[in-house]
Amino acid sequence: MPELPDWFRPVAEYMLREGLPETIRLSVIAVTASLVVGILFGTLITIRFRPLQWLIRFYIELWRGLPILVTVLFIYWLPPYDVGPYHIQLNAYMSAAVALSLWGSAQVAEATRGAVQSITKEQHEAASALGFSWIGRHRFVILPQALRRLLPPMVGLLVNIIQNTTIAFVIGVNEFLQAGNRQFENLTTQTGDGHPISIFGFVMLVFFVICFPLTRLAAYLEKRLV
Amino acid sequence: MKRLAVLIVLIGLATAAAATFGSAAPSGKAGAEALPPKPKLPALPAAVKSRGKWQIGVKCDTPPFGYQDTSGRNRGYDVEIARQFAQWAFGSRSKVELTCVTTTSRIGTLTSGRVDMIIATLTWTAGREQQIDFSLPYYGAVGRLLVKNSVTAGRLSDWMRGKKIVSTGSSIYQLWTQNCFKETTFQVVTSPSAGVLAVKNGQADALMYDDAFLVGVAANDRDLKMTTHRFLNVPWGIGIRKGEADMKRWVDAAIRGMRARDMFWKILRNTIPRRFWSTFKGNAPSRKIKPLYPRGNPPENNCPT
Amino acid sequence: MRILAAYDWTFIWDYRHEFWDGFKHTMKAGLLGIVLAYVIGLVLGAVRAYRIPLLSQLAAVYVELIRNTPILVQIFFLYYATPELGIHLEPFTVAWLSITIWGGAFMTENFRAGFEAVPARLREAGFALGFGPLKNFLNVTLPIGGRIALPSTINTAISVLKNTSLLLIIGYPELTYVANNIQALTFLVFEAFTVLAVYYLAIVWALSALIRFLERRLALPEAL
Repeated sequence: MPELPDWFRPVAEYMLREGLPETIRLSVIAVTASLVVGILFGTLITIRFRPLQWLIRFYIELWRGLPILVTVLFIYWLPPYDVGPYHIQLNAYMSAAVALSLWGSAQVAEATRGAVQSITKEQHEAASALGFSWIGRHRFVILPQALRRLLPPMVGLLVNIIQNTTIAFVIGVNEFLQAGNRQFENLTTQTGDGHPISIFGFVMLVFFVICFPLTRLAAYLEKRLV
Repeated sequence: MKRLAVLIVLIGLATAAAATFGSAAPSGKAGAEALPPKPKLPALPAAVKSRGKWQIGVKCDTPPFGYQDTSGRNRGYDVEIARQFAQWAFGSRSKVELTCVTTTSRIGTLTSGRVDMIIATLTWTAGREQQIDFSLPYYGAVGRLLVKNSVTAGRLSDWMRGKKIVSTGSSIYQLWTQNCFKETTFQVVTSPSAGVLAVKNGQADALMYDDAFLVGVAANDRDLKMTTHRFLNVPWGIGIRKGEADMKRWVDAAIRGMRARDMFWKILRNTIPRRFWSTFKGNAPSRKIKPLYPRGNPPENNCPT
Repeated sequence: MRILAAYDWTFIWDYRHEFWDGFKHTMKAGLLGIVLAYVIGLVLGAVRAYRIPLLSQLAAVYVELIRNTPILVQIFFLYYATPELGIHLEPFTVAWLSITIWGGAFMTENFRAGFEAVPARLREAGFALGFGPLKNFLNVTLPIGGRIALPSTINTAISVLKNTSLLLIIGYPELTYVANNIQALTFLVFEAFTVLAVYYLAIVWALSALIRFLERRLALPEAL
């Protein structure tokens, strides 16, 4: 075990204690919101009602087409607006969460649409023949199969969202990369040597340790379930 | 006997009255008596009062004014002022929510209503005064150049020709350089320490920034030094949204109170190393030192000949 | 609806030069990144598909490292670590190099999947015709595998272009940097970001339409 230099421990502890929980919290919120909204929209878009399809299609293309950073900056810098007695203005953390959720839900919606539409017509007809209503059909026959097909890409989405939380750095959220950057800046100005290779290398290492197993899991699920 | 007792009581009462009311009378000799620890301050703005704490924007990347240590605590000259405001408004130094701002984002963060005020190394300029209000000055800053040790510079206007200068975006340094030195390249860096690195790595000739920040860097880095040029001697103010007269009244009263009690100098002593105290003593407002904004002489137009 | 009424339409005309300059910078770094990523993807994809010893493992390490770390951290690393090692790069170089390295990893996977999806019998047919391994690759695997990989590689190319927005953190004056600066000066947030959105969506939707067009034109016969 190589000797760790003096400066390393407080910096690493600060990053892991202050930055990493923010990253994880942000990821969990974004993934949850993405799944809830995305699966809903992805199922609704399969209904043969043109206006609804166009609306959801616009939502999907908009939030997938824009770079996430642009969405984040836009939501953060929007002037506050008043809805009745409430004064709405999102802080940096909420802006990042909303932006990531918009992007994530668009991804999930598109994947859900593909998964639902891949369930063959025979399944729909068999379920109808058994007396299921539209909702019942989807709830008991279509969606369970579709969701199983969604599992590998959803794990992939989790990896993407975890990595994309670093974008919140730009609006000042104190997530893991920002924590490392702050310490790097302090060390640069106070000692002349910021150790960027060690600090940013450490950031990359931690993300790798989190994401690599998840990527492997997605590949494994892909083979097993599909 | 009875008349003597009454006389003694009356003298006692008169003495007590003199003691109580006499010392409250304004004394002509300022500084000869101790001021109460907390000055008389006007009423807090209603929104702040109901919230029970301040929301103040500070720098998190500019030691010794606003930065974060390894425990994640905000520290620095500006941050101390924010904490003092919390102490005087709500009785506790912790009744303030600090938001990190950068040079580029500080005015937007203020005008969008996210914070009550910004104490963020904000130099006064005529242009900025059109967007926001400034409190009374709270620090007298001076601009300096950080260069590699090997650089020898003569007159500023001669040396700047053909050089590449970096500083933070939307700063007074950017305004001044782009206004006064047409043959100099200016490049924006995202933070002051990014500027330090740019100079160290030879990607820029000099970083233009405030003296208190640069003196710390130059002292800690054996490859870098400051040139002797001093410019943009313009004070900093606390940024307040336009039209918030009650906020400005409170902040100005607090600054006057801190000035009269030499608190700015005390804070500065706690934030910069001892060997620089003599250099920076003149920067902190006090009873004798009252920095003024150069109204009528916009600093960004004050070009050296 | 109040927002629409208050929209400052003159903004678009006043700042057209700044946005156009930003657009040019975005495309300069973006297109360079895309082309180089394609080259890397093609070469390393073949290396991986053909399991060339040692090179294949090294390529795998490269791909896994890039895919499992955020691109923002990669940009930071490149920008701040290279001077430590004595290498001095201009912002523009860091800009296109970082997105090239990122894009190349994803392109490698795209092409590898495409090459591996070429049916074995077609490759065997090539050998039967007397092709050596290299000629077989150039005449059979590459054209067919490349076409199979087309949708995924163009999606990666689109992602590379979108990722140019992250280059604002190193001060590269691309579109998002420009819009953010203008917004900070004028407070016209809505105006600045709608113009920005139109630029990006136009680029992304144009490239997506290109995929659909190419997919139809270069479609492989069903019999494959």
